[in-house]
Amino acid sequence: MSMWLVIAPLLLMLVSGLFIMLVDAFAKERAELALVTSVAIAVAGAISLGVLVQGGAPADMPEVLTRYLASDPFAHFFDVAICAGASLSVLLAGGYLREHGLERGEFYVLVLFSCFGAMILARAIDLLSLFVGLETMSLGVYAMIAFRRTSARAVEGAMKYFLLGSFAAAILLFGSALLYAGTGHTDFVGIGEMIASGDAENRLVLVGMLMVVVGLAFKVSAVPFHMWTPDAYEGAVTPATTFMSVSVKAAAFAVFVRVCMVALGDESVMTASGWPTAIAGLAVLTMVYGNVAAIVQKSIKRMLAYSSIAHAGYVMVGLVAAAEIGAPAISAVLFYLLAYTVSNALAFGSLVVMGSRGKEAVHYDDLRGVGRRHPMAALPFVIGVLSLMGFPPTAGFFGKYYVFNAAVQAGDVWLAIVGVLASAVGAYYYLRVIVVMFMQEPEEDQVLAVPMKSGYVATALAASGAAVMALGMMPGWFLDVAIEAARQLLG
Amino acid sequence: MFPVYLPVLILLIVASAVALGMFTATSLAGPKKPTPEKMLPYESGSNTTGASHLRMSVKFYLTAILFVVFDIEAVFLYPWASLFRELGWFGFVEMLLFLTILGVTLVYAWKKGALEWEK
Repeated sequence: MSMWLVIAPLLLMLVSGLFIMLVDAFAKERAELALVTSVAIAVAGAISLGVLVQGGAPADMPEVLTRYLASDPFAHFFDVAICAGASLSVLLAGGYLREHGLERGEFYVLVLFSCFGAMILARAIDLLSLFVGLETMSLGVYAMIAFRRTSARAVEGAMKYFLLGSFAAAILLFGSALLYAGTGHTDFVGIGEMIASGDAENRLVLVGMLMVVVGLAFKVSAVPFHMWTPDAYEGAVTPATTFMSVSVKAAAFAVFVRVCMVALGDESVMTASGWPTAIAGLAVLTMVYGNVAAIVQKSIKRMLAYSSIAHAGYVMVGLVAAAEIGAPAISAVLFYLLAYTVSNALAFGSLVVMGSRGKEAVHYDDLRGVGRRHPMAALPFVIGVLSLMGFPPTAGFFGKYYVFNAAVQAGDVWLAIVGVLASAVGAYYYLRVIVVMFMQEPEEDQVLAVPMKSGYVATALAASGAAVMALGMMPGWFLDVAIEAARQLLG
Repeated sequence: MFPVYLPVLILLIVASAVALGMFTATSLAGPKKPTPEKMLPYESGSNTTGASHLRMSVKFYLTAILFVVFDIEAVFLYPWASLFRELGWFGFVEMLLFLTILGVTLVYAWKKGALEWEK
């Protein structure tokens, strides 16, 4: 396999980002930037999928590439999830931004560069490329949250995320410095080997590890580092929220898994530092708090924000199990993130389609009776929330099944029980969406939400809906690919 | 449970205790003789004029950001220039790529009117 094919997705992101910048600056009339962008991202994802299916790493990669970035099936698998999420978000943006009079080319440029950062992050095998990837990804997202710049809410969310994110990045960087001080290496494999051989300065390594885990837990919005999430998700334009909740989260989990399993995967550091125990604690807090807080929300966007926090908790259950049983649990995490990506994109896409200009659906009440008035617009929402809830035969069901199954196999039965109970609590607020849409009638003087008509949004909904059903009907194929990726990650 | 973290905890406690102790001690034990002049906000010795929460025009930030970008470029170019022969074609192409990306962003900023002070 050619080296160029392996790095083509990254190059494509970069070149199309620069290209769209120029088009945006010079184009006189409205260009179909959303179409170009989403196709570019989808092609990048398709190339990665092809490389993933074909398997086998190219032998002739130059050292300048292999030193900082991996090109293993693990990275390509995450490319697929990141690109799927980003491409769907861009399609949603194509409809949403135009409908709400926010159409500006910057959005697509930001998504492309942020997606580039996310893909770097999924490939990072060195603390340096980790940090550069993380910041490249985050800077685009900060700007995307404040995209509706006249809205005080959007600016508030962006400022919160920016300040807290900078703080978390500083903690991560300090942790990286301590890891380097303790081991003399910045690459994950080198750090892992030094720890395994017992030559590392243990105290420095442990404190460094703690800070790195805090920095990453912030990015995946694990409780208690989640404070920014509801405000940022609510303030951002919905397509930006979609991108943050799927692609950014997937990339952050990619590097989380890599750091934990490759750099800190040694038995000695696990038992001494207890990162599996620490992450199990975070997972329990995240699952319970995310689900309980989602129940009391009135705004659907905020509910979905808390729901995405809860989902980060389920993924962390898989990470804890990976510490014990390795590859099977990692493959469950991979599958879960892919399933979550398409399900969440579907749910947010349904929220986008529910509102036309000035008549956006924000609260549960706005959805009253929509199911009877506009059944075709309500159907994707039903599939989306059922999949997020984990209802068979959707993607979400198998995601949850594999993750909790991995936890049971690893001997963390209590963790699986907490997870199942938490997701049972979650069923309440997911089903409430369906109940409101189909079994309630709007009040007399209520402003009715009118679904928007947009080919972009319809395409996004059809694509994500099909992906949700495909992952739910035949999960085996994707799971096999995920298992292979997980095996090669552990070497 | 994990005694290795005990030193960190102790350091945390000592650091907070020292910081808190210093602030408490100065506010309790320090002499306080406030005069009207002392209570004024300090502004390099001259009298304060206008409100302190002044809104700066966003134009300053744009200029500052552009300055930083090209400053970084200069920082990157110097070591590259001194190692030019050793880096060979690889270094040349690498720098060319970097400058191209920077060039595109400059064109973008220019077209979008970021370089015009009065619009």
